Amino acid sequence: MTGAVLTPLFVDALGEFFRPGTLSEVFVNGLSKAVLYAMIASGLTLVFGLLGVLNFAHGSFTMLGAYLGGLVMVVLVGSATGDLARVLFFLIGTLLVFAAIGALGGAVEVGLIRQLYDRPPIYQILLTFGLALVLDELARIIVAFYGLQPITDWRDALGTKPAFMVDNLELAGLTVSPLALFQIGFGVVTIGAVWLFLTRTRYGMVVRAGSEDDEMTAALGIDVNRVFTTVFALGSAVAGVAGMLLMWDPVWGASLPLAHETLLPAFVVVIVGGLGTFRGTVVAAGLVGMVDATMTWWFQNAITFTGLPEMMIFLVLVLTLIVRPQGLFGVEEVGGH
Amino acid sequence: MLRTAGLTKRFGGLTAVDDVDFRLREGELCSLIGPNGAGKTTFFDLLTGALDPSAGSIELRRDGEWEPLTDASPAEVAQAGVHRSYQITNVFPERTVLENVRVAAQAAGPNDWKGWRNANVFEEHIGEAHRILDRVGLDALADQPASALSHGEKRQLEVGIALAGDPDVLLLDEPNAGVSSESVDDIIDLIADVARDHAVLLVEHNMDIVMNVSDRIVVLNQGAVIADDDPSAVQGDPAVQRAYLGGYGEEDDDGTPTSGATAGGSEQDEGSNGGTEGSA
Amino acid sequence: MAALALYPFVYALLVASPLGTEAETLLPRVDTMVGVFYFGLFAMSFDFVSGYTGYLSFGHAIFYGTGAYFVVLAANGQVPLLAPGTPFMLMLLLAGLLAVLIALAIGALSFRLSGVYFAMITLGFAQVAYVFVRGWDYVSENPKDGVAVSTDVHPGGFDVGVPGIDALNLEIGRLTGDTVEFLFVSLSGTEVSYYMVGLVVLVCYLAMQRLIHSPFGTVLLAIRENEERAEAVGYEPFQFKLAAFAVSGFFAAVAGGLSGGYGRSVAPDSSMYFLVTGDALLASIIGGFGTLAGPLYGRLFDETVREFLSKRGSGGGLLPYLRDHLPAGVMEADLVGGLTVGGAIETFLNGHASLYVGVIFVLFVLYVPNGLLGTVRDRLGGTVAKQLPDYLDRYRRD
Repeated sequence: MTGAVLTPLFVDALGEFFRPGTLSEVFVNGLSKAVLYAMIASGLTLVFGLLGVLNFAHGSFTMLGAYLGGLVMVVLVGSATGDLARVLFFLIGTLLVFAAIGALGGAVEVGLIRQLYDRPPIYQILLTFGLALVLDELARIIVAFYGLQPITDWRDALGTKPAFMVDNLELAGLTVSPLALFQIGFGVVTIGAVWLFLTRTRYGMVVRAGSEDDEMTAALGIDVNRVFTTVFALGSAVAGVAGMLLMWDPVWGASLPLAHETLLPAFVVVIVGGLGTFRGTVVAAGLVGMVDATMTWWFQNAITFTGLPEMMIFLVLVLTLIVRPQGLFGVEEVGGH
Repeated sequence: MLRTAGLTKRFGGLTAVDDVDFRLREGELCSLIGPNGAGKTTFFDLLTGALDPSAGSIELRRDGEWEPLTDASPAEVAQAGVHRSYQITNVFPERTVLENVRVAAQAAGPNDWKGWRNANVFEEHIGEAHRILDRVGLDALADQPASALSHGEKRQLEVGIALAGDPDVLLLDEPNAGVSSESVDDIIDLIADVARDHAVLLVEHNMDIVMNVSDRIVVLNQGAVIADDDPSAVQGDPAVQRAYLGGYGEEDDDGTPTSGATAGGSEQDEGSNGGTEGSA
Repeated sequence: MAALALYPFVYALLVASPLGTEAETLLPRVDTMVGVFYFGLFAMSFDFVSGYTGYLSFGHAIFYGTGAYFVVLAANGQVPLLAPGTPFMLMLLLAGLLAVLIALAIGALSFRLSGVYFAMITLGFAQVAYVFVRGWDYVSENPKDGVAVSTDVHPGGFDVGVPGIDALNLEIGRLTGDTVEFLFVSLSGTEVSYYMVGLVVLVCYLAMQRLIHSPFGTVLLAIRENEERAEAVGYEPFQFKLAAFAVSGFFAAVAGGLSGGYGRSVAPDSSMYFLVTGDALLASIIGGFGTLAGPLYGRLFDETVREFLSKRGSGGGLLPYLRDHLPAGVMEADLVGGLTVGGAIETFLNGHASLYVGVIFVLFVLYVPNGLLGTVRDRLGGTVAKQLPDYLDRYRRD
């Protein structure tokens, strides 16, 4: 907690922060975090809105997606592989991760979560919490068996990045990270696809109707159970794909702690946006991403307190719940507060 | 005993309770009737503090003084001596029958914050609970969990919980709801019995009961009081017949208000409500 | 509970018996048991608020961490106005009171919410505190790794007993605690710690037990079962929940303080992190949510499995036992693709107790929602201590 006072250093930093170059850099970083948070949190919020389950194992899906994606890349990519091929392999990996984590999510819904819908919500928290323990430990066993360090980033997977994503670009006086741009592009497409699914397909309409009134949906003759399974699988799959993206990012990387590092901000995003609203989640992801990027810059340049970004994110959570518990776009009754 | 002045509750554009001046006198049994959606339950929720009124006031007479109750919380209303029962059974399901009433009795005394002595030491609450269970006819079941009671017995327990802690005013919300016809007489006896030492405001659909036990009847329609008189006068009131009883009176064989509504009366009320709107 | 009073003797006897290695393999060490005690107290305090009012306090680690940090910092002379030599019992009390203040502040803001939202806001507060102590350079040069009690500033141990009367105090500590020679009984430092930590935990348990059975406790149960009705009969649920939260915070801090005193150190990840609350949750569910004593047994189960599957050989686990008792040929036998039996155990069992405890936890949530103690009580129809003698009696007569 040193340096957080109005010293000359702080004033300098303030001037530096408001330079257009810095601002745009922070903005791009914030946006790349925002799309990642939105990808992870959208599954959480859909599952909560429809099933009423706050899924503590959601971050584990992201972690598994990162390892699985890393595995695909490490197997396919050799040192001679060109940049274009690497991007192509990444897209193949994305499909594989989407299918595999989606199948895992579907199996979890059918095998475990379904048994608890009539119990109080506390039991679903407990169940998914236990599930997260099991998935994380299984991953630890497998990762350690193959001689990798479970708690540090998977270096080989990081190394499968195309060369043009490794170093920052200087563009018209601005420093731009190509990786961040790739993440933003990829994330926007993914979130856009989920959005189109929800608004433009018959099935998506059912999902949205179901998240408002599942008895109504049942009355319309729709198999609610199948909708539940699909949504849980979809949410898990998108979280897994987010993990695939993080596997290339040296700030995150494929590692076991990734499960918690993504779960907690995702919780913040869904609560701040309003549990159960997709739109709120996207907006809140933007907010949290920007707070994160801004505070990361301040920590790197002026304030020596290491936990600054994380602390601000949790403060956003606490303040939201104090001032507006239903979140930015939430409906008051959802979730019982 | 208990009075309201200009009591109003609006939900968005809907006025559920509209400028109600109401007075419950000491020792009387007053029934509140009206078609479904007339605002009876909202009025109850306002009196008990579960809802805050949009306008108007609520006052309770204690020791010869009128005390404001308008902004009181449900707990403060209960502490002031106004207790309620619920239309849908609302007890402590996993506690025993005795504990349901005992914990309610304890709320009135000075002991609820005592953390250092066993609850069983406070025999006054246990004694009171047994007396009340005896009165509502459940003492033999004192050690059963509340969830094991039959529906009729749960209705008796509802009233028992409301009786605990010696209230001055009892607000009974359809104590007969869903009770089989054999058990109705027991509940009527119970209502008549508790009315002897409490002021009672009763919401009831069964017209036979209302006409038999009430000292006075207040009729609510679309949130407003349209009649406030003794049973026979209300029965003959043309405005009441039009608003409340007329709807099914036309369909029923003889149109007399006393015969139409029974335990299954709420569906008919739905019909009468629609009819009212149609004619108005 | 009574069986726990003799555990160190039973353990010592069994380990010295012909079945010594089996006993060592299966039973938790006395050192582990000390941890079971103080963490069990934390889990009980979690159960006191979450199991008895139905509000999931997902940030409960903040109170445990407060206690642990308070004791370690006080011992290092880093708490203003408090001398390093302050009696340990007083430190525990002050840590508890500090936690009460924090609980009142957090609770006042949090109990306006319920369900998922209550769990999330308490989690949020605890994570803010976690991130704070992890980066707070006042604590130590490397706050991320926590802080240990300095032997220069605080050379003595932590005494449990009546403050001010030397004869009524015994020092706790893994290696540094007092030893006792009394008549024919001799107790090692760890065994002394077992009894002294156990004593504090017992007193705290009895205090919470009293509260549960008091008029105050019956109101909490009423709120858990039907908050609306509890309010309608004249209780302000907010006040009672807040009070329960404060009480629970107090005992959680005492538990944290005991862990700080016994281990002479504290680290953010093992005190303030949300997974610490998760461990309490685990213990509560396995032991029995809403049974008070249950969480201690839940923690005992958890720790026993962990020690049985521990990587280190100390205290005896499955792997060293098999190494000693199976012929080398079996251990080296090939299963698949160069994986030996020993290697398989090393890979899939050892150090991975979380997996098996997690699976058991999930099974409990699904099929035994009342937990170990809760289920036994349901079967017997009352508390175990009260009903077991009757039950056995009936059994004998049949």
